[in-house]
Amino acid sequence: MWAPTMLLALSLNPPGASAANVEASVISERPSVAPGVPFHVGIRMRIRRGWHIYWRNPGDSGLPPRITWTLPKGFAAGPIEWPIPGRSEENNLVTYGYDRDVILSVRITPPATIHATSITIAGKLDWLECAEICLPGSARLWRSLPVSPGPGVRTPEAAVIAAARARLPAGPEGWAFSAEAGPRAIALDFVPPKGIAPREAYFFVDKPLVTEHATPQGLERTKRGYRVTLARAANAAGNLARLSGVLVIEDAGHARSRIGVNVDVPVSRGNPAYRAPTKPSNRNRQGERS
Amino acid sequence: MNRIATLACLLLLTPALDAHAAAIVGEPAPALEARDADGKTVRLDAYKGKYVVLEWVNRQCPFVRKHYGSGNMQSLQKKYTEKGVVWLSVCSSAPGKQGYVQGPEAKEWMAEEKAAPTDFLLDPKGKVGKAYGAKTTPHIFVIDPKGKVVYNGAIDDKPSTDREDIETARNYLSAALDASMAGKKVEVAATQPYGCSVKY
Repeated sequence: MWAPTMLLALSLNPPGASAANVEASVISERPSVAPGVPFHVGIRMRIRRGWHIYWRNPGDSGLPPRITWTLPKGFAAGPIEWPIPGRSEENNLVTYGYDRDVILSVRITPPATIHATSITIAGKLDWLECAEICLPGSARLWRSLPVSPGPGVRTPEAAVIAAARARLPAGPEGWAFSAEAGPRAIALDFVPPKGIAPREAYFFVDKPLVTEHATPQGLERTKRGYRVTLARAANAAGNLARLSGVLVIEDAGHARSRIGVNVDVPVSRGNPAYRAPTKPSNRNRQGERS
Repeated sequence: MNRIATLACLLLLTPALDAHAAAIVGEPAPALEARDADGKTVRLDAYKGKYVVLEWVNRQCPFVRKHYGSGNMQSLQKKYTEKGVVWLSVCSSAPGKQGYVQGPEAKEWMAEEKAAPTDFLLDPKGKVGKAYGAKTTPHIFVIDPKGKVVYNGAIDDKPSTDREDIETARNYLSAALDASMAGKKVEVAATQPYGCSVKY
């Protein structure tokens, strides 16, 4: 699958750069660019075993990867589409991220007219890679593509990006969410679509100082659905207006399947109780990280 | 001892915070007792009536190196200790983990870096770090003369390892100390700290 010949992308680490545990490159969904037709590129990060990088909220420590694009005139890049993260716990500190190869997809929108026969999509990617220790990593990535109207042929890279995007957190269509928060805890109530019976759930909050990342989350049945309880951050400031992030559930019907759903809901004021999980499995078994 | 016992009881009664003690803004700072690089015992109580800065440090962490390699941390230490602020650098790296130092090494490193804290505390068992909920290096706490926490969080608003970011960053530590010392409210009193995880 990952034959080097199909990787036309170049990634150059500055000579002597200490970050040697993540290899980054950019792949394209399309072999050519058509004026006015948006497409996706993927920042592919190959992560050495034992190392990890971070999600958009890294948790108790760490930094998310950041890309600064240099695009031809009229081109626009969307935000990074973050795959479902995993979590890891060490010494009561919890972080969110990835410890396997990951594709960060980004939508590129070309202008309606392009006065060139080829264009180059370039960017500077900065990240933090950690194992026991952390090292900053940086790479200049680029990809040149010919300009040609029409869809072009489907490349193997397109399949890689499509597969990654198919696993992105979905929704929230089909799900019903509501949240209430008090001084101690935040309760996220949800009703999944028919046919999904959560066996385990974990909410990856995407903002800092909302929850205590390291406090185990409780999951219980309610009359209408399910409730995840989160410990409010010790230093949370004022009232919480919205709760956003990704709810990840393991479906009882599909033993190994992990479903991620985007959550962004207003929070009503209440005083929900914090309920610790009834079994320890909520603590440290979910995720792409070991 | 009594104070510690009371604190422990309070923590046990607070289910949401069990095992996750923390320095909470507006509340009394957790008790602190540790050996410094000279082997002398240092207690927070001894500094009542003064502003105290706690700075978590791991000399090998790239985020710490950002602030020492640029001279930023040293100049903050100098600026505020000259104003009477007590600055305690704390190392909670466990033996064998990154950043672990014993007294002589810590002093050697401080001399090399021209670091100017009031004292350098050794916390190899992570007792102080866990009581405060120190998560990253650096992680900054500011305690007022009454012993209350007035700031808990990042050193500034540019979470990166780039030294160039320091110049344009908003320094939360300075802002908190300047406001508090002028009798004003600390505008940003809690932030998410950034850096390497503390190597407990």
